[in-house]
Amino acid sequence: MSQGTRHGLVRLVAGFAIWSIAFIVLYAAQALGCAYGWGAWHRPVLIVIYLFALAPLIWLSTRPRPDGTDAILPTAARWANRAALLASVLVFLPVTFASLCA
Amino acid sequence: MSEYPSPIRLHKQLDAIWRTPPGLARLSSVNHTILGKRFMVLALVFFAIGGLLSMLIRAQLATPNSAFLGPEIYNQVFTMHGTVMMFLFAIPMFEGFAIYMLPKLLGARDLAFPRLTAYGFWCYLFGGSILIVAMLVGLAPNGGWFMYTPLSSRPYTPGINADVWLLGITFVEISAVTAAVELFVTILKMRAPGMALHRMPLFAWYMLVTAGMMIIGFPPLILGSILLELERAFDLPFFDPTRGGDPLLWQHLFWLFGHPEVYIIFLPAAGALSTIIPVFAQRPILGYRAIIAAIVAMAFLSFGLWVHHMFTVGIPHLALAFFSAASALVAIPTAVQIFAWIGTLASGRPRWDIPMLYIAGFFIVFVIGGLTGVMLAMVPFNTQAHDSYFVVAHLHYVLVGGFVFPMLAAIYHWLPHVSGRQSLYRLSVPAFWLILIGFNLTFFLMHLTGLMGMPRRISTYPSNWGWDWLNLLSSVGSFVLTIGFALVLADLVLQFRFGARFRRDPWQAGTLEWATATPPPTYNFASLPRIETRADQLHPGEIGPMLAGGGGYLGFARNGAQETLAVDIATGAVEHLIALPRRSYLPLWTAMATASFFLALLFKLYWLAPLGALATIALFLVWPVGLGAKVDRGPVDIGRGEAVPHDVEVPGNVTILANRTALVMDGTLFASLLFGGLFLLVVAPNWQRVGPLDLPIWLGILAALASGAGAGCTYVAGRVNRFGGSAYLLLLAAAIAQAMATILFVALMIAIPEPTAHAQRAVVFTGLGYAALHCALAALLASHGLWRMIMGYVSARRQTGLVLAWLWNGYALGVAILVLGLAWLLGNSGAGA
Amino acid sequence: MAPRFKTLALGATPLLLAGCSGELSTLDPAGPRAANLAVLWWVMLAGSVLLFAIVMVLFALAYLRTAWVTRITPAQWIIGGGLVLPIPVLVLLTGTALVLGEQLLPRGNAPIRIEAHAERWLWTFTYPDGHAVPDQTLHMPAGQPVDIVVTAEDVIHAFWVPRLGGKIDAIPGHTNVVRLEADKPGVYWGQCAEYCGEGHDGMQFRVEAHTTEEFAALMQGASH
Repeated sequence: MSQGTRHGLVRLVAGFAIWSIAFIVLYAAQALGCAYGWGAWHRPVLIVIYLFALAPLIWLSTRPRPDGTDAILPTAARWANRAALLASVLVFLPVTFASLCA
Repeated sequence: MSEYPSPIRLHKQLDAIWRTPPGLARLSSVNHTILGKRFMVLALVFFAIGGLLSMLIRAQLATPNSAFLGPEIYNQVFTMHGTVMMFLFAIPMFEGFAIYMLPKLLGARDLAFPRLTAYGFWCYLFGGSILIVAMLVGLAPNGGWFMYTPLSSRPYTPGINADVWLLGITFVEISAVTAAVELFVTILKMRAPGMALHRMPLFAWYMLVTAGMMIIGFPPLILGSILLELERAFDLPFFDPTRGGDPLLWQHLFWLFGHPEVYIIFLPAAGALSTIIPVFAQRPILGYRAIIAAIVAMAFLSFGLWVHHMFTVGIPHLALAFFSAASALVAIPTAVQIFAWIGTLASGRPRWDIPMLYIAGFFIVFVIGGLTGVMLAMVPFNTQAHDSYFVVAHLHYVLVGGFVFPMLAAIYHWLPHVSGRQSLYRLSVPAFWLILIGFNLTFFLMHLTGLMGMPRRISTYPSNWGWDWLNLLSSVGSFVLTIGFALVLADLVLQFRFGARFRRDPWQAGTLEWATATPPPTYNFASLPRIETRADQLHPGEIGPMLAGGGGYLGFARNGAQETLAVDIATGAVEHLIALPRRSYLPLWTAMATASFFLALLFKLYWLAPLGALATIALFLVWPVGLGAKVDRGPVDIGRGEAVPHDVEVPGNVTILANRTALVMDGTLFASLLFGGLFLLVVAPNWQRVGPLDLPIWLGILAALASGAGAGCTYVAGRVNRFGGSAYLLLLAAAIAQAMATILFVALMIAIPEPTAHAQRAVVFTGLGYAALHCALAALLASHGLWRMIMGYVSARRQTGLVLAWLWNGYALGVAILVLGLAWLLGNSGAGA
Repeated sequence: MAPRFKTLALGATPLLLAGCSGELSTLDPAGPRAANLAVLWWVMLAGSVLLFAIVMVLFALAYLRTAWVTRITPAQWIIGGGLVLPIPVLVLLTGTALVLGEQLLPRGNAPIRIEAHAERWLWTFTYPDGHAVPDQTLHMPAGQPVDIVVTAEDVIHAFWVPRLGGKIDAIPGHTNVVRLEADKPGVYWGQCAEYCGEGHDGMQFRVEAHTTEEFAALMQGASH
């Protein structure tokens, strides 16, 4: 019981933790690509990272709906994780079109 | 009930244990009610000082070509206005509010580390005083509240001004660091039995998230301040572009703190709103789960938008796009909360009262600030509005709307709790209108002033740009605003003097803080409640008398101990009994020792600074003396027929949790340092010609091995102890090994030729210094464990000292390895880049 | 794209309060780039006024206890107000702003590149082929984009000519480029926007846009 609910606290931040890691990796890859001249490889690398970040978030967001009266935290977690998915889709979308190094 | 003493007798017994005597002994108080009030009063004093400074600003800018202040003084005035309001008012104000409120709201008798609260208060007082005294003698910081380098570097600010900022603010930040750790641990562990996470009142959720954000958000600023002070004092070039540094590194570190900071200030205020609005809507908050999700989303997103303060520094558009999108998206969790609040009012039976008046003011002002925030998040528009008065208007709408208005609502809502008297209202209403009108007159026009091209931070302007009438009206408005604040002050004084006394819960609120007597007794609750429902839908009027009569847990005075309970983090099941330390002068002495360290650095008495640091550490080592237990006592009675063990006999106690939290914070500081090194390597100019840095590799390997040996020994010591063996020698070995690692890291530092020559060497030098410091701390913690063991405080069940030793030794090993990796990477950079 | 924005900007001109014009006013654009930014502002202002009104009306209705407001369910409040209302607005706005931002980037080489070097507390302008005009004025041709290459000597400054385009920081150790364009010949004003110490107030400069021929003649006569 205790472990299960504590797991809920982790789930509450899981989605956005993934978002944060993806943010750091993408920002770093953008800077490295410009500094070390990745050229034509630069954008594909960023897009691959983008898609890699979305996969676990999609998985988290589509978990079965929690039920029971004790489902307050799991429900909040589910919404937070969906918010993280939305944030990832939108915030990182510019890797597909924005100027990389200018 | 007959087995319990009468409420009066119980009160006398408990008060004798918890009270702070009058007179000079007040200086020894560690009580959260007293310290929370001190924090808030001091914050309000600084608010008045910051307000007076803003009057000087508006007086200077009221007319064109004004010669009232002159640029030299004006620059100090606006720098101090921003600095005082952000660091000495806003942050300490909500800290004080949370310190006062949380234990009462959660059903505890005090915070987890009362002496740390007191230490934080003294650091705040002393650090703030350094800044104010500097201002009075005309040496205040003058580089703007965000202290951009190179303007704040030594060549362009040769005087002591910038050092006052860096050292004074870092000193004050100690109180933020201690508060963050303490609030985080308290919310997770020290709630009334039965208060599972999902039953916590929303304010506790807001503060939990805020504390988490402070744990990650403050270290970058502290690191930035340390680096800049190192550059100013010892010429180590982190921000000097001619020697491989980069002024932009400062901006990244500052705003990596500075933007989350805005949300760190807003969330506690939003927590107050989420507590007050249901009371006046007369129904429970709408969207409890959605609000939890929204604050989590807000907390994370707020760390992904710091570069929107840097849209014009010349960063590639893709990077700007990330931050722009994140800045826009953060409006969504804000909207969720706004509509949850309006919906709560709409679906309840809303009534008006003074707090609601200020909440209406909050809606007006904050929504405008939020909308201009979205505008500023748009990169193209930002290139026009950035650094203009539009931003000045926006930030005041957000901070005054998002913090000052809710805090005024909170003051009117909770002042009866503090004073035990009800409001008078004769001055409250006109004061509100003066504040609302004065504020909007002052700042609404500034949007236009900014769009008409007036940049921030100019001390005067000629008459030909069309800004004259706007500035004059803003100045008039600011005086109206000030009169409003003066009326509020008078109103508060009158309430304390003439307000009518009342019984419990004057607003019919549903949270536990109203179950205390008012003004609250020193121990909060004569006995602790059991919570079976969500803790914002209680009936304090009924619970209060029951608790006062000793009908809950711990409804007795035992052995003169300050007892309270700790629960399982998630379920709220009672877990252990905490005996809090009694009042003490140690926090004051320790803060004074810390002050001597900062003052020595400020006056460049570099021989004295290490003595101050050592005195601080030595005094901290005195803190645990006499705390803990020398025998295993097993479960003890806590009333209501239940028994739990003491904290020292539980592996998940608050001390261990606090140290884990502190390590996360320290780790964030370290990560910021690593980021700084890598940032300079990749982005900074003048790294092409730098040669490789030849360091004796064998020294590094030996240092890592020594630190690894220390970590291994403490780990094994913990296991041996748990199975009843003797761990003395292992701890001794760990201390010696880490001491050796310290010496080896210092040797490596000495081996760097001319650390001031290039940022590459300066970063490696500082990293090695960080590793040396942490190996020394690891040695200290291992010795501390050994000492506790010799004194008899450690057993197979009482293992706190050994766990702490392992935590800090393991961390030191991690640091040692990463620092050597950084040194290798930067050291070979000349060839690579 | 640009001409359409320009007509939009012209259409918005009657909206301008008389007080919005001024030598440094972003609301009184004198070139296509600044005009784009002004249009973005007016659009955002209109949207903001609408959103602000919605929130205020709902807050007022909550207290007036209008029947249909009390019947809104919690889920409708959260999802309607918190998600359905802001998300489309934000996605559309951010997307537009990013596309506009891409278009405003100084991409490719503008025909003319002028260097602006900031030091406490004055600006020095250098023209192609090392020409210098010793009058503390930025000369540029009107009717065509001009790239300004911005650098700093000592501390951080920012180069800002509000009527011709957005600002860019002048940072020691870095080189930044901003593209400006003036519709017509004339005198404009610029200033330092980043606080740079005691002389920050006075760090303004004159910008003179010339016809192409005049500019060429000026360059001919300029000293090396």
